[in-house]
Amino acid sequence: MAEVSKGIAEKWGLVVDQDRCTGCNACVVACSMENNVPFTGEDNVAFGRGTYWIYNKRMWEGTYPEVAPAFQPVMCQQCGSAPCEPVCPTFAAVHSEEEQINLQIYNRCIGTRYCANNCPYHARQFNFEDPNIPEPMNSYLNPDVTVRRRGVMEKCTFCVQRIVAGRQTASAEDRPLRDGEVTPACVAACPSDALVFGDLSDPNSRVSQMAQNERQYKLMDELGTRPKVTYLKGGGRNGG
Amino acid sequence: MSDKITRRNFLKIAGAGAAISAVLTGCGPMSRYIVRRPYTEMPEYNQTGLNTYYASTCRECAAGCGIIVRTKEGRAITIEGNPQHPLNRGRLCARGITAQQGLYNPDRVFGPIFQARGDTSRQARTTWDEVIPVVSDALKSPASQIAFLLGTAPDHLFDLVAEWARSNGAPAPLRYSALASFEGRSTLQEAANRTFGKPALPFFDLANAEVVFSFGANFLETWLSPVSYSSAYGDMRQARPTRRGYLVAFEARQSLTAGNADEWIPIKPGSEGLVALALARLIAEARGDDVPAAARSIDPATVAETAGIEPAKLTELARLFAASEHSLAIPGGGAICQHEGLATAQAILQLNVQVNNLGVPGGVYLTNTEQPTTSLAEVYNLVQKMNNSQVKVLFIHSANPVFELPKVLGFEEALAKVPLVISFATFPDETAMLSDYVLPDHSPLESFGYQRMLAAADRPVYSSIQPVVAPLYDTRSTADVLLAAAAAAGSPLPYTDEVDFIQQMIVPLISAGGFYTAPEIQTFWSRWLQYGGWWVTEQGLDTDISAAPSRSAAFSGPIALEEDKQFHLVVFPTQLGDGAGANRPWLQEMPDPMTTLTWNTWVEINPETADRLGIHDDDVVRVTTPYGALEASVYRYPAIRPDTIAIPFGQGHTALGRWAEGRGANPAALLPAAVNESGDLAYNDVVASIALTGKRRPLARVESREGVYGEH
Repeated sequence: MAEVSKGIAEKWGLVVDQDRCTGCNACVVACSMENNVPFTGEDNVAFGRGTYWIYNKRMWEGTYPEVAPAFQPVMCQQCGSAPCEPVCPTFAAVHSEEEQINLQIYNRCIGTRYCANNCPYHARQFNFEDPNIPEPMNSYLNPDVTVRRRGVMEKCTFCVQRIVAGRQTASAEDRPLRDGEVTPACVAACPSDALVFGDLSDPNSRVSQMAQNERQYKLMDELGTRPKVTYLKGGGRNGG
Repeated sequence: MSDKITRRNFLKIAGAGAAISAVLTGCGPMSRYIVRRPYTEMPEYNQTGLNTYYASTCRECAAGCGIIVRTKEGRAITIEGNPQHPLNRGRLCARGITAQQGLYNPDRVFGPIFQARGDTSRQARTTWDEVIPVVSDALKSPASQIAFLLGTAPDHLFDLVAEWARSNGAPAPLRYSALASFEGRSTLQEAANRTFGKPALPFFDLANAEVVFSFGANFLETWLSPVSYSSAYGDMRQARPTRRGYLVAFEARQSLTAGNADEWIPIKPGSEGLVALALARLIAEARGDDVPAAARSIDPATVAETAGIEPAKLTELARLFAASEHSLAIPGGGAICQHEGLATAQAILQLNVQVNNLGVPGGVYLTNTEQPTTSLAEVYNLVQKMNNSQVKVLFIHSANPVFELPKVLGFEEALAKVPLVISFATFPDETAMLSDYVLPDHSPLESFGYQRMLAAADRPVYSSIQPVVAPLYDTRSTADVLLAAAAAAGSPLPYTDEVDFIQQMIVPLISAGGFYTAPEIQTFWSRWLQYGGWWVTEQGLDTDISAAPSRSAAFSGPIALEEDKQFHLVVFPTQLGDGAGANRPWLQEMPDPMTTLTWNTWVEINPETADRLGIHDDDVVRVTTPYGALEASVYRYPAIRPDTIAIPFGQGHTALGRWAEGRGANPAALLPAAVNESGDLAYNDVVASIALTGKRRPLARVESREGVYGEH
């Protein structure tokens, strides 16, 4: 669990530039293909049981004819002080001290769903069914990521498997990780370059620089969750 | 691999060349030049636990983005953009990312089938040895009675078929895709031809533009090359420290592009040409130029009233356009797919001419790319020939005309009059079901090839396609089938197989000044595969553009409607593209960006209109046009004109596998057969009526995270 009193250790962070984001949802699909997120079918989506680690919150603003959608891609904010962590009776929702992100240990999870109830971002997804991926479609499943079964909570991990792989490559080559070397699937796909990922503890990294932007805000910052995801406001003549 | 390049050197090149973390390989699971090695030296694509990356080209639409496929133990795992590719620069859209769901789809065609036009009593699996003579006999038919309908087939196959057709006097192959028809590609090209004197697709430098007026061009979702335009859009917004580009979209139904615009101007369908002329007049006045001849008789106030917008708004926008340094006007989609579409496209292109925004950064260029598709008018001619029994053999590849074409065109009936229909479909789609033979091609991730007609490329590009996995089933490359059959038919082409053909086609590139070269073709070939194609390093757009004076055009304006009884109908493509994406479960599950709806067809209607007509969300309505009718649930869509309804294209399959079949409705039933002057479908002119059916069927939407089925 994160220790609130000591201030916040920074590591991986994500910046979402809403002025670049078009709402195209390529990130949603890229995430799902990378992380073996199951498709659930029409009925489950209609029951509110669709599984999206990242989803695009589309809010209508204004009335016709001055109406426009505001797009806000929402994923796990990897809170420094995460509301989901203290409520888990089995310590399945844990804080990675090394990565400073919030991880889910699937084989600890017993499916109480307390964490999802406590998450203000709707970022946690529950498997109401076993994944139904008929042969041979299971061939594309990513061997680096566990396939979750029914009754297990899951969520965005900042593609921790890619972080680990990147660090191992760097360490094998005896060098530090380069800025931009690790990209989660959503960031890699984003056609308009709206997502930027990197190390917040390095003040010179692109993500640190962008997080200083005057358009920056954090989602529900007032709750004191200390999110690692920074949004840059979009729209307006100067994007602010 | 050739003997001139050792494995060690090859890896050095690979390491130096690839600026990404992965080493891209030039020899893959389908390498046709086999070297025997001891078992201890496993092929690199087969080493347990190691990733192998292959550069190839996405074939999910005709844009031709470069992809890098990560494979593990011979399986394609994830697909990302190729960072070096000049088109998409490492980015990719949802369609490309889900291509594995096509490769590993359980509903593929597993081998050659005698389909017997769907007559199940005679259907039978067959073998390639048995069917090659069938194809060969077919190629012996009188050349004028052979027809090829190629759809979004890769360019190398088009080139091969075109060469065979040329040398044997057969009609040139047709390439039709519903997507191209919705985009208005033929119209755009013809408008460029008439405006700039060259039949090339224009390239709009969105990234450097300051003010962009889009007329129906949904370039963030489906139009021409959505990934490269999305990338340019991002740069237009935020890449310049001091200037943020301003986007204005003129269209009746707010598309994703209009949703991201700073201003959405909901003009009536059919008024686009008039609005362009009114803008031309106001822009000239604001700049103190002579008013173009075509716009002299135009009264902007009247036009604004006709289009259903405020006159002051039109003036304000014209001043904005006139005052900015790089103002760009983009014609596309419904705006140019109407009976006066060509003149409308010309009028919109002329706005760029007026502000001298040609051949400069932030302006309009001409690409060196040919039009990759043929227009609907040519397909119309084919259907007439089929009806007149002038077509004895029809070959179909990567197209699903029974699904895609407007139903009133009568393709299905015409198909029955063709004695032999051979489909090369990888999926049992509607057209394949009605064929005599289905001779499945490899899936795109199992194939060789290239794409060279990239609609948004700013330089000469050949994008290579290579197999990233060994073929899963008893499929065979269509190019190989045709080459073998042509040889047996006594009309051989001078190529031994598909790879030989591709290699001979790319020989000229060795000395064409690309970013790499090689002493001979085998070395060039391995780099070609390794980099994912060949291109030049410098932007190579035609900057020498001059425009013909604007043509005077009399636009008839929008069709008059009976209020609340008749509606303008907008049919728009989605992430399902021309409908071929409907069997990818993640494309079905991906929420439509604007409505967040999944897995079905819906009818968009303005909530105020819906209130007046007593229509609620999820009510099933019957939409009727003079050409047909369909039923679908209503989605009350706040961003659409009150006199307009809209329906997405791509669902309503009766075949194509478990995820596509029996889902939603196909708006092709509502579309006319009418085409505009340049042969694109005039789908923007359709007037529809709607009626409640009394049924209700909830749509699965993601905007409500609590679900829509109520208590559960």
